[in-house]
Amino acid sequence: MDFRAGDSWGMLACLCAVLWHLPAVPAHNRTGDPGPGPSIQKTYDLTRYLEHQLRSLAGTYLNYLGPPFNEPDFNPPRLGAETLPRATVNLEVWRSLNDRLRLTQNYEAYSHLLCYLRGLNRQAATAELRRSLAHFCTSLQGLLGSIAGVMAALGYPLPQPLPGTEPTWTPGPAHSDFLQKMDDFWLLKELQTWLWRSAKDFNRLKKKMQPPAAAVTLHLEAHGF
Amino acid sequence: MALFAVFQTTYLLALLSLRTYESEVLSEPLPLTPESLKVSVNSTCQCLHLQWTVHSLAYHQELKMVFQIQISRFKTSNVIWVENYSTTVKQNQVLHWSWESELPLECAAHFIRMRSVVDDSRIPESGFWSNWSSWEEADAQNLLGHDPLFVFPKDKLVEEGSNVTICYVSRIHQDNISCYLEGVQIHGEQLDRSVTAFELKNVSFIRKKGTNVFCKMEQGGVLGGIVLFVSKVLQEPKDFSCETQDLKTLTCTWDPGSDTGLTKQPSQSYTLFESFSGKRTLCKHRNWCNWQVAQDSQETYNFTLLAENYLRKRSVSILFNLTQRVHPMTPYNLFPKNVGATNATMTWKVHSIGNNSTLLCQLELLTEEKVIQQHNVSIKVNGEYLLSELEPDTEYVARVRCAYTKHFWKWSEFISQKFNTAEAAPSEAPDVWRNMKMVSGHPTVSLFWKPLSKVHANGKILFYNVTVENLDKPSRLEVLSIPAPARSTELTLDQCSYQIHVTAHNSVGPSPASVIVVSGDPGNEEVEKGRVNGTEDGFSVSWKPQSGDATGYVVEWCDGPQDLPCVLQWKNLGPNTTSTVISSGAFRPGVRYNFRIYGISTKRMAHLLEKKAGYLEELAPSDNPQVVMSNLTSHSFTLSWKDYSTESQPGFIQGYHVYLKPKAGEQCHQAFEKTVLPEDSVCCKYTIDNPEQKTFVVENLQPESVYEFFVTPYTSVGEGPLDAFTKVTTPDEYSHILIRIILPMVFCVLIVMIICYLKSQWLKEKCYPDIPDPYKSSVLSLIKSKENPHLTIMNVNDCVPDAIEVINKPEGSKIQFLGTRKSLTETEFTKPAYLYLLPTEKNYSGPGPCICFENFTYNQAASDFASCGHFPVTPQAPPPQLGPLTSPENLLKALEQNYMNSLGEIPAGEANLNYVSQLASPTSGDKDSLPTNPPEPALCSEYKMQMAIPLGLASAPPRENSSLSSTTLLGQGEHCS
Repeated sequence: MDFRAGDSWGMLACLCAVLWHLPAVPAHNRTGDPGPGPSIQKTYDLTRYLEHQLRSLAGTYLNYLGPPFNEPDFNPPRLGAETLPRATVNLEVWRSLNDRLRLTQNYEAYSHLLCYLRGLNRQAATAELRRSLAHFCTSLQGLLGSIAGVMAALGYPLPQPLPGTEPTWTPGPAHSDFLQKMDDFWLLKELQTWLWRSAKDFNRLKKKMQPPAAAVTLHLEAHGF
Repeated sequence: MALFAVFQTTYLLALLSLRTYESEVLSEPLPLTPESLKVSVNSTCQCLHLQWTVHSLAYHQELKMVFQIQISRFKTSNVIWVENYSTTVKQNQVLHWSWESELPLECAAHFIRMRSVVDDSRIPESGFWSNWSSWEEADAQNLLGHDPLFVFPKDKLVEEGSNVTICYVSRIHQDNISCYLEGVQIHGEQLDRSVTAFELKNVSFIRKKGTNVFCKMEQGGVLGGIVLFVSKVLQEPKDFSCETQDLKTLTCTWDPGSDTGLTKQPSQSYTLFESFSGKRTLCKHRNWCNWQVAQDSQETYNFTLLAENYLRKRSVSILFNLTQRVHPMTPYNLFPKNVGATNATMTWKVHSIGNNSTLLCQLELLTEEKVIQQHNVSIKVNGEYLLSELEPDTEYVARVRCAYTKHFWKWSEFISQKFNTAEAAPSEAPDVWRNMKMVSGHPTVSLFWKPLSKVHANGKILFYNVTVENLDKPSRLEVLSIPAPARSTELTLDQCSYQIHVTAHNSVGPSPASVIVVSGDPGNEEVEKGRVNGTEDGFSVSWKPQSGDATGYVVEWCDGPQDLPCVLQWKNLGPNTTSTVISSGAFRPGVRYNFRIYGISTKRMAHLLEKKAGYLEELAPSDNPQVVMSNLTSHSFTLSWKDYSTESQPGFIQGYHVYLKPKAGEQCHQAFEKTVLPEDSVCCKYTIDNPEQKTFVVENLQPESVYEFFVTPYTSVGEGPLDAFTKVTTPDEYSHILIRIILPMVFCVLIVMIICYLKSQWLKEKCYPDIPDPYKSSVLSLIKSKENPHLTIMNVNDCVPDAIEVINKPEGSKIQFLGTRKSLTETEFTKPAYLYLLPTEKNYSGPGPCICFENFTYNQAASDFASCGHFPVTPQAPPPQLGPLTSPENLLKALEQNYMNSLGEIPAGEANLNYVSQLASPTSGDKDSLPTNPPEPALCSEYKMQMAIPLGLASAPPRENSSLSSTTLLGQGEHCS
């Protein structure tokens, strides 16, 4: 897992992207002109931005956990993190996913991850770390809204959480602090993997949603070239 | 056999009865065995909890007992702990005992047993230990799951500096398990086949999230770990104190020390407990806490501050009386009132404390951050104080603080207020001085004054009034108003005496007047000049006291060097003073300062008494004079440096050193002394000890010798820089005589040449006419008179000429002809215009008559000698042919052979009558040798003594006929002579 410290550039850009996107979703159904393409593009951009933001956050947080969690080649077994939504999936399975299922999995995964992340924020010992985590949570909330917007634009209903299955991040009595740290590590790792996967998902969706006219135009341009 | 059986039975019965007896006897102090021993494990504190009872006790019986407890690890025989636990035991009482294990209990099975003994004075014979209880096993490993690797203790909280034992339990018995503390591998001791322990000594705090210890198997990626929470040691609160500002609320403060908070443990908490009232409060802040004072007028308080975390408690207590801990609040509304030039009233307010409490307030007055006044005032609510003895126009800071009067504890914080006192009229006359000079024939006085000090100005000086009063004749006063910050003015006066008043004015009024009297006389009187010595403190100037009525003295000087404009400075001194030290930050070493001492008469008029000059520190001269050398003779020269100014030097010039480098081997003259220069060269030095002597004559020199000289001044510190020497060479002893002779001679020759030039025509006619007239020649008369009185001039009629050719031949063609043969082929030869006076015969071979002009300026020898020199000889002419040339025939042949080829191309070269100089022959210098070069044309153009020869000899004949003709002419010539 490659967590490296980077610069955080533009919470403002993230929020602007979300705010730009959200009002466009209900309008889309009425007019139908732009289609879901711009929303998918913005969601894709947001995943890339969050990837970048997570690199900085993970570096800070893993240093806060201490060695071996901040060592670059540390790869612990996934002991207590079974409740985390897994981003890794068989390639064939991933290819066979339809758009709705693909978006639903993304939405559900980020819903859970956001909850866990908020739990992480509550336990953080330093104010600076709490500020960074809160910042990232807000960005992730924006991504969740963006995915919801895409689903709405495509006419898919949002998945309803089952009652009593609200994910929590409260370690049980047998859950040692070391295992808790491993869970934190896996949460960040899974979050990063999900952001990679989402970027692929939305890139695939974006290509799929491109209007055929554009392809013709590109074809003609290629001929001319 | 039966008897034996009976005996045996009897023996057994007897033995049984004996044993029963013994039992009864010993049962009196029966040992009380611990029963129902139960062992439990507490993983959090790594403790073994034991509980047991002693059933054998009688009802209501209380016995003091000692329980010996044995703890074994891994196996019963491995006893690791034995402890005697003393307690008082009642009937059916459940006894408890705990033991904290260093090794985590999960890593090893522990076995516990105990026995007891009664240790009570009421039972004197109670010294027997009971039997050991059976071993009880405490094995926490059974509680573990099925994971392959466990590390213990989990999430243990310890203090910094503790020793901690960590162990791992491996379900897979592999050796390749490595453990790390914060990423650094640690090595432990294997206790069992599957258990290894690590002892961490003196652990330190790393982070709030805990110290990570983990172990991993190299194969399978199995990993287990723990977080060890190391807390900083809780410190006792320091500087704990409580005080009140209003007798209603107590504020207690302390220094909490380091924070012991971890994610496993919150930061230490602080609790304030008051023992008299029994109240306590949990403090919300780490370093202070408020306590509401009860209304029941409790005066004495005993506070205990308790700091605690999970590991430790610390407390500190104070006992005090409430009224002795009053720290009043800062006063407010501090304002100046009725501010005058020298006084001001300050008013302020305080917060009341209780009912009718009195506060002691301290009012301080500061100027320039120094406390100059301090007053104590007792007030209740409103304070007021009149500050006096203030300086006019001065900024002050007033500040007030208060304390509780009943029991002084602490001053409150200060409240400060700035204010300015009002202005007052200047209290002192300005210090005035004057400088007299003549400007355009009018006496002019420059008045200078020093600005009043702040103490005396009493406000901002706006202008200065200068009042001029004529003392000699009554006239109205002239008043000049000069706005500040001017410090001088200039007045043009006449020859009368004037009294000048100078006053400084601020917004309130004028200062006392400064009076000075001046007269129209600039007063350039000659006075005594002296020197003054400079010291580190300045110049110590002293003067002779003025006899009479001096009311004071003034020492005047310029602060800057002489070459800069004078910044006039002066110092007023009392009438009894005859010396002073003049110091100034502007004084610099190496600068001459001139001081003038004036005496002030009772009429306020100044008279110059003395002049002094001095240096703060004399320096060596910085430059050398420009020396001019003059009067150079073979034995002396003079050096002078008249332009060198001794006044502007960095020290008093005491004289000059003249260095002279003599020629090699020459000794110094007796007036000089031998000295060695820094570059190790030896030279002679002459010292001039009179600074005004600026010339020097260097004498006793050798003619035609090189000397080097160099002149440098010297002061008391040293001489000037060593510059380059100037070279001078003494002339020859007789050269001046030669000059006296040669110059007139040259002059005379020039005169003669000029005359000759002007009279050249006359001279030519006299000495070398174009056609000489023998009758006019003075030579003839000379010869006649001396050698041959019968000598006459030859008559033309005496010889019969064959032919006479008169040639008008241009000069240029002759040059061309003789100069280069090639030119003859290219240039058309100017055909000579001639007139045949007589017919000539062709092929004439014998000698015939001719016209011969004998040149009487030659004697015979010279003529013979010249006969050979007339033949132009080319380089082709071999020397052996010279001999036969002496005869005319041979000569002719030689001419034909040598010149026919070369000159054959010359057209129409008839024989011409020509004059050829006898001295023009190339053989004129040497009779026996022929020239190797052809004759130069210039030789033929020059007139010397003439004789007629054919042109063909002088210049090669163009034809054979011509050569014959020439020969004839030559033979004719010989004949005539």
